Amino acid sequence: MSLLQSDSEIGMILQTLFSFAFIVYLFYAQRIQAMTMLRQIETTLRKIKGLRDEGKTTSIETIKEIGKPERDPTPMVERFMEHFMIEPVSMDPAGIVGKLGSILNVREFTFEKEVEVMAPNAGPSERNNIENLLEASLALNIFYKVIRHYYLLGKKTMNIYIIMQIHMILPMILQQIEAYSSALTAFRDGMPIGDSVGPLVAAKLLNGAETREVAKEMVAGEITYEGRRVIVTKAKGPGGSVGKPGDAVTNILNENKGKVTMLITVDAAGKLEGEEVGEIAEGVGAAIGGIGVEKYKMEQIAVEQGVPMHAVAIKQGIEHVVAPLVEPLFEATDKAVSSVKGLILDYSKEGDTILVAGIGNTVGVAQ
Amino acid sequence: MSGDTTPIAGGAAQNWVTLAAMIIVGALALVSLYMGFQAYGNGEIEIAFMYMIIGTSGFIAIGYAFFRPKPPSKDPLKPKKFDVITTLECPQCNLKRVRAFQRGDYIFKNDEPCTRCEGNMVITSIHTRKEEKKK
Repeated sequence: MSLLQSDSEIGMILQTLFSFAFIVYLFYAQRIQAMTMLRQIETTLRKIKGLRDEGKTTSIETIKEIGKPERDPTPMVERFMEHFMIEPVSMDPAGIVGKLGSILNVREFTFEKEVEVMAPNAGPSERNNIENLLEASLALNIFYKVIRHYYLLGKKTMNIYIIMQIHMILPMILQQIEAYSSALTAFRDGMPIGDSVGPLVAAKLLNGAETREVAKEMVAGEITYEGRRVIVTKAKGPGGSVGKPGDAVTNILNENKGKVTMLITVDAAGKLEGEEVGEIAEGVGAAIGGIGVEKYKMEQIAVEQGVPMHAVAIKQGIEHVVAPLVEPLFEATDKAVSSVKGLILDYSKEGDTILVAGIGNTVGVAQ
Repeated sequence: MSGDTTPIAGGAAQNWVTLAAMIIVGALALVSLYMGFQAYGNGEIEIAFMYMIIGTSGFIAIGYAFFRPKPPSKDPLKPKKFDVITTLECPQCNLKRVRAFQRGDYIFKNDEPCTRCEGNMVITSIHTRKEEKKK
């Protein structure tokens, strides 16, 4: 009898608890979910802040060590990390690439001058590396501020849709942030990075051949391969720079008006999940990333002169692009050289002139 | 994504508070299921149904706690440490030497004099050391 009575008491407690939980969940489900997501964003944000601060500290220490400035570079680094670029209006898109190119030139000029003032005793290559290091710190700062913006906005409004927006893309953002944090080490010490595979392939093709400057921070040299004249261009190393490959290709094609029969671009390309790091793929078109100005210039001149564009892509994950070069990617450059040679043999004949452009950041790679 | 990336999803019990809560919910769910079966045996179908729903919900809640998206760990993200090696080769006698990367190294740099012949060693590769697979 007493057992039955206690059973019914426990049953009543369970029923009440269940009903209470049901009512709470009915009204507060979204709020509970929002709070859980906010907590996760907050934890991630704290980590990102740590990396942002690490970027700033690394930049300041490197500038002090290499640039030996007379005054403390901290305020200048802090100012640099807040730098922004306003893209041109796109309502009337005609001529927008030129406008964008002009803005990018001003940006580059400003960065160069800033670094010159911050690190007066650094050499040209070291300045390029410091510039890249500062750009990585700037990117980390932007990531931190954008995530913080959504976090605070979500917290203020408790709007689940605002919170979800940032929560959903958090894993991808973290990948990018980790990649930029790896870039700090690479640019601080001037190590080749994943993106250096393009210039490395070009340098391997050049094999010590004499080079000359063909555009801003771009060099080109000539080799002969199986009776073909091969002009190879890459960014001028070993400082961290991507140069102006669009200008280099334009200038070389104009110099050799009508003579160039083939343009091959070699660049790092994002791999899909499941693909191996260092896989080589061949295709057509201009293999070049970035904002699009240099690609536009290349396509423009290639179409104008009727030069077919071939591309060689070296696959890598987002975490490899600005991190120190991994062995599979280094080994892949030899395969890419073979691939370029194969394309030359397959699609050109003896006596032809071929232009090969190694696209990417040439940090840690000379010519 | 590399192995040491902080996972955002795929976690189990996070800490002892969660674990304790799960044990309590589990015990309650078990009691509820027991009472449900008992009520079913007594022919009280409606009460049995209710207890079983409560018990099952408890176990579902535990399952969710195990497989729910894992909150990122609170340890600060530290920039990765890289073990970068520089390979030097003598173009004359083909002597090869591998050493740790030093600031100022770059590929195709004419570096130090060769220890075997009169030539100069050239840096032929710089890359991270291949990670050995854990046994």
